[in-house]
Amino acid sequence: MSAVAAKPQAGGAMNPTAMVIGIVMLLIILALCWYVSPGLGLMALIGITIGGVLIGFGTHFVPVGGAPAAMGQAPGIATGVAMLAAGAGLAGLFGGAWAAEQGLVVATVTGGVGGGLMMAITCMMVNFVYVFGMGIPSASGKVAKDPITGDTQAEFKSQGTEGHGLPFVSFVGGVIGGFLGGAGGTLIYLQLLQLYEATLPAVMGVPPAQVMPIAVAAAGIFAVGLFLVNAVLTAYNITGTIEGPHDPKFKRWPRSIVASAVASALCGFVAILIVAL
Amino acid sequence: MEQIVFGIGITALTGALATIAGSAEDTESNIGSQGDPNSQVQLAPQMGFLHRIFNKAVAGEPPAYGLWCALGAGLAWAFMAMQINAVLAIVLGCVLAVLVQGVYATTAYLGRTASLAKFGQPVYIDVIKSMTSVTMAHAFIAIFCTVTLCHLINGALGHPFPLPLLGLIWGIALGAAGSATGNPYYGKERQYQNQKFGAGVPISASGNIVRYAEAGERNSLDNGFFTHKIGGSASGICFGLIVFLEIWRTILFEEISAGWGAIVVGILMILIFTVADRYIEVWARKNYGPYTEAKVAS
Repeated sequence: MSAVAAKPQAGGAMNPTAMVIGIVMLLIILALCWYVSPGLGLMALIGITIGGVLIGFGTHFVPVGGAPAAMGQAPGIATGVAMLAAGAGLAGLFGGAWAAEQGLVVATVTGGVGGGLMMAITCMMVNFVYVFGMGIPSASGKVAKDPITGDTQAEFKSQGTEGHGLPFVSFVGGVIGGFLGGAGGTLIYLQLLQLYEATLPAVMGVPPAQVMPIAVAAAGIFAVGLFLVNAVLTAYNITGTIEGPHDPKFKRWPRSIVASAVASALCGFVAILIVAL
Repeated sequence: MEQIVFGIGITALTGALATIAGSAEDTESNIGSQGDPNSQVQLAPQMGFLHRIFNKAVAGEPPAYGLWCALGAGLAWAFMAMQINAVLAIVLGCVLAVLVQGVYATTAYLGRTASLAKFGQPVYIDVIKSMTSVTMAHAFIAIFCTVTLCHLINGALGHPFPLPLLGLIWGIALGAAGSATGNPYYGKERQYQNQKFGAGVPISASGNIVRYAEAGERNSLDNGFFTHKIGGSASGICFGLIVFLEIWRTILFEEISAGWGAIVVGILMILIFTVADRYIEVWARKNYGPYTEAKVAS
């Protein structure tokens, strides 16, 4: 087995006790929020938690090969998991925030499509450089056939590598990951914006019109921060690199979403405390 | 109608700025050797291959550019609040951000190279003198273009986010697009020019990067010159398309069906890129062919 193929597999084991503890922590944070701000605050925290889970789950789809991908030694995009997911998700957040006035559903879907579009362009350009710049076809190192197209992979792997480029299933995974990340980030932003718009005028003692720039900036920066928290948590879960939904590491997602839910709830609770106390 | 035409003009300008930013970002990161391919620059002396390549990877490109663009945008925003002309404010903000980038580049090179002392890798002062200013110049172009497009998005198109936050978001997206598209070309095609064209680098060759040029030792300026032709251009097109299409679909189609128009157009564009990607993949399989027979492949 080569160095790349010999990545640690033990990290995939689930720990039921830890997951139960995580769920209990989540319930405690929700209860605390209900105690501090039972109406709007609790609803916002639930939305933030769902958004965080979407980001954490979506990051598993993003095909990232890290340093080996930069030398054509492994498939995926040659950068870090958290960085690429953040790039796509924040591009989505940009679009979603622009559509905030159109309502929750339209803005969230707009954010998702923005993230998906960013990933579609990036993944296509990655394959463009591999094929037309370097003369290397795509090949997966984790599956014998592409689950979507049925293309065989092994004979297109060059000697001494674990594959290269982005097989079609990885492209689709990237788009799904970008969509979920963009939608999750936008959902967090909208929940916090709604909360801050309603509560900041009373807290600061100023008219609602004056408070808008502060509400938008605070909600935006918290959304960016929560995005990075969830993307980095997921990067730890998949230990650096993943090819996409067909990669065996993808099966680790349940524990990641529990962790994302707890982390998002805790960070969201802090964001709510700013106006609740 | 006039508003839409104005919006399209601004959109085109932001797309052009983003294209230049993406291209400059990738070239800057290749000259400075920042990003995943730098693992080989760091590894080479440990394998006995001493070199004169710059080595400044202190963070991944997305967080690094997120910091520098947010810094440039934040300072420009502060200068504008002091009633300084917008163009001058952006230039001043970006100059100060680039100074921070220069400090990072210098300390990263010294720190990372000093850590390789036990393997006999020297710290070349002339490398710092000649490379740092070039990376700073490219970083200035990338940061200036990104901050300017953020200012246009905020001021002319009316995006609700303040300038520093837009700088952070588009800085991270710039680094993500530039590193994703440009890294393989620098990592495989340039650093491993001694390996076969049309194949990945065998894992056994790791660390054996090309260290000599036509005359003397290879330096990072040669790397920037080489990678800019395809890696830099592709990164520029990638980031330019992301910015242009994201804004274009919003400006033109957001009013249709209460926002659903922009969503449908976005989905259509994703489908078009999906078809293009599949075409590229199939084209490569047909024209380059397999490396081994399917029945004996392992």
